[in-house]
Amino acid sequence: MTHRFLSHQGLASLVAQLLAANTRVIAPVRAKDDPQQIDYQPIHSFEEAAIGVRLPRRSLKEYFLPPTEVLLHYSQTKEGVEIREVSTAAPPQVILGATPCDVASLEVVDKVMGWDYRDELWFGRREATTIVSFLCSLADSTCFCTAVGLGPESFRGSDLLLVPVDGGYLANVVTSRGEALLHGFASEATDAAIAAAESSSRAARQKVDSNLEALPADFGGWLASNFDNPLWKTIALRCHGCGACAAVCPTCHCFDIVDEHDTADSGVRRRNWDSCQTGLFTLHASGHNPRQSQSERFRQRIQHKFSIYPSRFAEILCTGCGRCSRSCPGGMDLPKLLLELVTLSQAKPEVSGQ
Amino acid sequence: MTELQELARQLLTEKTVNVVIGYEEGPRGVRPAFITAPEQASSLVFNIHCVQNLAAYLNPRRKQVAQLGKAAIVVKGCDARAVAGMIREQQVERANVVIIALRCGGVLQNPGTASELTAETTSVRCAGCTVRDPKLFDYVLGELPPEPPVNTHRVEQIAALERMTSAERWNFWTAQLSRCVRCHACREACPMCFCVKCTAEKTQPQWIDPSSTPRANRAWQTMRVLHQAGRCVDCLECERACPEHIPLGLLARYVADAVERRFDYAASDDPSVAAPFGAYRPGDEEEFIR
Repeated sequence: MTHRFLSHQGLASLVAQLLAANTRVIAPVRAKDDPQQIDYQPIHSFEEAAIGVRLPRRSLKEYFLPPTEVLLHYSQTKEGVEIREVSTAAPPQVILGATPCDVASLEVVDKVMGWDYRDELWFGRREATTIVSFLCSLADSTCFCTAVGLGPESFRGSDLLLVPVDGGYLANVVTSRGEALLHGFASEATDAAIAAAESSSRAARQKVDSNLEALPADFGGWLASNFDNPLWKTIALRCHGCGACAAVCPTCHCFDIVDEHDTADSGVRRRNWDSCQTGLFTLHASGHNPRQSQSERFRQRIQHKFSIYPSRFAEILCTGCGRCSRSCPGGMDLPKLLLELVTLSQAKPEVSGQ
Repeated sequence: MTELQELARQLLTEKTVNVVIGYEEGPRGVRPAFITAPEQASSLVFNIHCVQNLAAYLNPRRKQVAQLGKAAIVVKGCDARAVAGMIREQQVERANVVIIALRCGGVLQNPGTASELTAETTSVRCAGCTVRDPKLFDYVLGELPPEPPVNTHRVEQIAALERMTSAERWNFWTAQLSRCVRCHACREACPMCFCVKCTAEKTQPQWIDPSSTPRANRAWQTMRVLHQAGRCVDCLECERACPEHIPLGLLARYVADAVERRFDYAASDDPSVAAPFGAYRPGDEEEFIR
């Protein structure tokens, strides 16, 4: 990885050039309904961007997997059924100022999107997107990126990672795409800038490090062999099963596919976000529901993220962003629950006998 | 040990109930607690951070809670209206729940935020509260604290909505509801949403498209708020649950005000008082039925 220096003016010019070329630029901005809050939104000028202010309320997910999207149009004619598929080509877009946890989640989800079937809509957007992430100094008590193998300085999934230094940013050039984006705007990085960036990366890491220790390597295995542990009966008592956690989660990617009629003989097939936290998710046509209560549904959430996905793709399906805890109306707290589970998994079995 | 902790301990020790649903300090402010052993009763708290309406946990569909057995529930006067609603609508048997009501001096808008009640931090639902001294209870605890500062934010929002033309109001709500991702978190967190099968999930016919489109979102939220007319207890759990931060409480309150004007009825903490949705009176206005 190479380092370059990008001045404040250089970044502003770079963004201005992108916008002038009609490239969509998505950045953290102050939320319309609450200026204290931050949302990722397309910007129309560099001044709109509010980078490094606060962790955005929602992840980047909606720019790769929208809450709803049309898969195909259908119409019934005398000759039969006509199907018109949507284009999977996406216009180029640049994401600016995203947090490392949000960016890393895209690579984590790539695994399932390219597994038994290559999801062309997902990868169409992935390939059309250049990602400029920022060193994250925004950690609060719900963050735990360092416990899941990431960190506030992680460049996983980024093309460029910017670290604020005197006069601008130290640009960590991760990919050739990132290098191309910088072309003409950056200059050589000084040793002092590199050292300053290293120091602020360490400080950012310290801010989140103590929230939760790295999950043990055998945690997924322990979860798998404790599927029937009685703890699941009580762990989710306060969970309403509302699924707000899944909506704000950068790695939750489940969707439902439905046909919706526009007229009696034409309509669209759409896919919509779905969540394993609702009863409908597993309801069979027979009326039987294998996950009867929230106990089983919450167990599924934990098992999928920390055992099933890791065993299949060698990835934890969580980047420690803490949004599920922040958005939960029932006060569920993932880092606290993980700590309880890890402690239980490491408890020595009681010695029986004499 | 506080009066509340002592009562919880006693109810559990005497096996009057199997669980006390109350509040405890959590990692980010006060959160719901499920106390099943007398020695855990000391973790119960009641203060201005006790924002949540715990009545939703009495919903028989909360099977993970129902399996614990008979419950006692800690309520504020406003939350007691939800318990009354559930009794009125035969979701909960009065004899099967022990209601521990706390006299209330107001709560915050969010459980994890400010440390004192001010005109900005107090919940908008506390403005004009008439049930600070609860009436539906088995036990009522505490002295009545002074009235909290009045947060006028929502009154102003409603006044602004009233001043709009109907076209402006339509555009306002269309814009707000266009953000809805149809996760239905509002419904799941709501103590008064307890239909076994929600209309939004009926597919034969599909009354409401499940996708997040302006038309379907409007249909969904309109249906929900109309079904809540005169039933909503204004606890704002829907709004707290909404991952898109749509002002669902404002929408519900707007409808509740209309019900009050039309039917002279506000969500009551007396289960024996019939709500407009389940009753007909010869004097009911009906000029809007055409």
